[in-house]
Amino acid sequence: MAQQEMGYQDDNDGQERSLSEWQQELQTPFPRRPEWAGASVETSYAGPDLLYDPGYASHSARTLRHGDYTRRSAPLIDQVSNGWRNSEKTAGFYAAEPEDHDLRLCDLEDEGSCPNTTADLVRSRRFRRMLAVVLVAAVVLYYSWRWYLQPRLQEEWDLKQGFMPARSNGTYGIARAGHFEGTAIKWLDPELVPGGEGDSKGNRRLVFVGDIHGCKKELLHLLEKVGFDAKTDHLIATGDTVSKGPDNVGVLDELIRLKADSVRGNHEDRLLEAAKTLLGTNLPPESAAATSQGYAKDAKLLRELKPKHMRYLRDMPLMLRIPALPHASASRRKDKDRVHENIIVVHAGVVPHVPLEKQDPYFVMNMRSIDDRTHLPSALRETKKGKSRPWMEIWNWYNDRLFRGRSLKGFHLYSADEYEEEQLAESQGWLGSLWDGVFGTGKAKMKPQVVVYGHDSKAGLQMHRWSKGLDSGCVAGGKLTAMVLDAKGKTEIVQVGCKNYKT
Amino acid sequence: MHLPLGLLACFPVVVHSIIGIPTHPPLEPLPRRDAPVLGVGSRSHRRHQNAYPDEPDKYFHEADFDRHYDGRFANKRLSYDERRKHLTALMQTYLSTMNDIGAETWIMHGSLLGWWWNRKILPWDSDIDAMVSEKSIHHLADYYNMTVHHYQLPGLDEGRDYMLEVNPHYINDSMESANKIDARWIDTDTGLYIDITTLRRNRTAEARGVEGAMMVKDNHHYMYDDIFPLRESKFEGCPVNVPFAYSEVLIEEYREGALSQTVFAGHRFEPETQEWIPLRHAVQQNKLLPPGP
Repeated sequence: MAQQEMGYQDDNDGQERSLSEWQQELQTPFPRRPEWAGASVETSYAGPDLLYDPGYASHSARTLRHGDYTRRSAPLIDQVSNGWRNSEKTAGFYAAEPEDHDLRLCDLEDEGSCPNTTADLVRSRRFRRMLAVVLVAAVVLYYSWRWYLQPRLQEEWDLKQGFMPARSNGTYGIARAGHFEGTAIKWLDPELVPGGEGDSKGNRRLVFVGDIHGCKKELLHLLEKVGFDAKTDHLIATGDTVSKGPDNVGVLDELIRLKADSVRGNHEDRLLEAAKTLLGTNLPPESAAATSQGYAKDAKLLRELKPKHMRYLRDMPLMLRIPALPHASASRRKDKDRVHENIIVVHAGVVPHVPLEKQDPYFVMNMRSIDDRTHLPSALRETKKGKSRPWMEIWNWYNDRLFRGRSLKGFHLYSADEYEEEQLAESQGWLGSLWDGVFGTGKAKMKPQVVVYGHDSKAGLQMHRWSKGLDSGCVAGGKLTAMVLDAKGKTEIVQVGCKNYKT
Repeated sequence: MHLPLGLLACFPVVVHSIIGIPTHPPLEPLPRRDAPVLGVGSRSHRRHQNAYPDEPDKYFHEADFDRHYDGRFANKRLSYDERRKHLTALMQTYLSTMNDIGAETWIMHGSLLGWWWNRKILPWDSDIDAMVSEKSIHHLADYYNMTVHHYQLPGLDEGRDYMLEVNPHYINDSMESANKIDARWIDTDTGLYIDITTLRRNRTAEARGVEGAMMVKDNHHYMYDDIFPLRESKFEGCPVNVPFAYSEVLIEEYREGALSQTVFAGHRFEPETQEWIPLRHAVQQNKLLPPGP
């Protein structure tokens, strides 16, 4: 409404005029009304310039001031002139508009435009310093991920995958596998446990010895060095007490005399199997040419052994278990010199997570490595085709996990009982499992165990938190090792040198 | 080798008769021979022998409809359940006979794998693999070639005849592509058979200095200490021998997967019952039990 009062060109919007001026305006007569020819008429309008005609304007102002819209007033379009066509655009038309920032940003000539400011920024020293710091940090972060963090995470993942059914189709420990003739699992006589019921003062000791292989002199030397006292100490051999060495019968006699325990090793296994066909027959011995050198040597040894030796060999169990020592001090995660948990003594090794009853006897007496994915053991250090690792690596990883109370959810199951336990654990809901995942379950259903073994002379003495390998290659000129365990759970390693008996 | 008492439990009623013609191994290069068709006494009139024109020296011939059957005695392929039943009987009678004869034999390959899993023949296996020592094969060839053994097994009305046939090429120690099998134990009723191979000393390897190397004519190589001393165990309810390092022999041949995979060849291993269930049976709930006697 204010536009129509005094015309567009007037800066004065008409509201600051004096009263007299207003009166003068209102009293002038209305001029000749222009013919309204309609919208199709050209804009060259012959009539009075409505914008500049004060009379018309005031009339319309008068009428409009009353708030009516009157048809007699022309459409607004008629008031638009084309004078703008004639006016020249000024040179800095666009630049003169201060609100139009977007159009100004990319002009390279202007000081404040975007490319110029960026260039200034880049050239500035402070910015370059900052950039250098960021780049160095990025490089450090990247390589530390690639060389340090990522391999560790990958390793952890790979180790875990071997236990999961998701990746593999079945696993070791499900099939029936071989069978063992004799006692498979034997618990140590409770009277002999240090600190146990027969030893309230905690004086007893257990002496574990690696592969003796008929080295009687070295064995006696070692027992002397350990200070072996038959009244308080008990000797436990890790198998392979005979074969290869100079005095096999002597070693057996000594072990029988000391009432020592031993687990069955692969050489004892061979002897016992051969005995089934060779003993009790009067057939002439088969030559090495018809059989093999090993077989011929076994046959020769069998002829020297007496029934009491055969009985002793047959009595050797596959695995010997020793309960956790009652007086042992508290467990620590990384302490290699103490044993507080249950001990399993075997000749070569055991596969983690598989129940002891399901372990194949041949592998328990011969394994050196296990397959990454299926956990199938092998007597070789590295299988020719599959990917294998030393079995004690995985054993230690697994028992460390048990020690920390980490969950075994998703791991393979071997019996209906385990399956029911898992179902029970799952039913506790997500909050319970979250709690367990963060803080660890208070009560571990499965307890970690320490394995004492022999068999691997090339690897030598292997002392880890959860596995103790005691075969230091005595018969080949290495050492004969003993691990002495006292009632407090402390272990001590004693070694003697050996002569080379390998021909 | 003395007869284990447990063997008698396998066969409560056994009628055992031997009709045999002792043969002498030829000394000169072997004349060309085929497994005899006439005179072996078969019930079917039509012979299904598949003679291989490109292997003229091959002694044993298989059936033309299925290479796991002997064409002289078989006239049709058996169904899954029938085959399992007859293979079991084949194994039991073979072990019984070898025990009687005193021949040293043990199971290998697919049969050993079945032993590892559940002491039974793998259900998808169409034949049985056994091995004998060199001494045994000579003994069998000298005195038991072409002998027919009659067995009356529990659950069958009439008795069955099993024939032991030795390939005259057994005396040839070197590798032969046509005659890899040294002997067969054949069920004359159905045509199913057991392949018997001989474990021989690898004389070429021994000449090179490898001690204890053994070989078989079907291109398998072993070490003496991996097979001997043999272990005693049970298979299909009967006493059997297995190699000393059974698991290593299996892994060598079949890789780790064969000893751990529970889904294989259309079957699934059920840990609770220790049985291989065919997958189609596992789906149908009412057929989870193995076929009855």
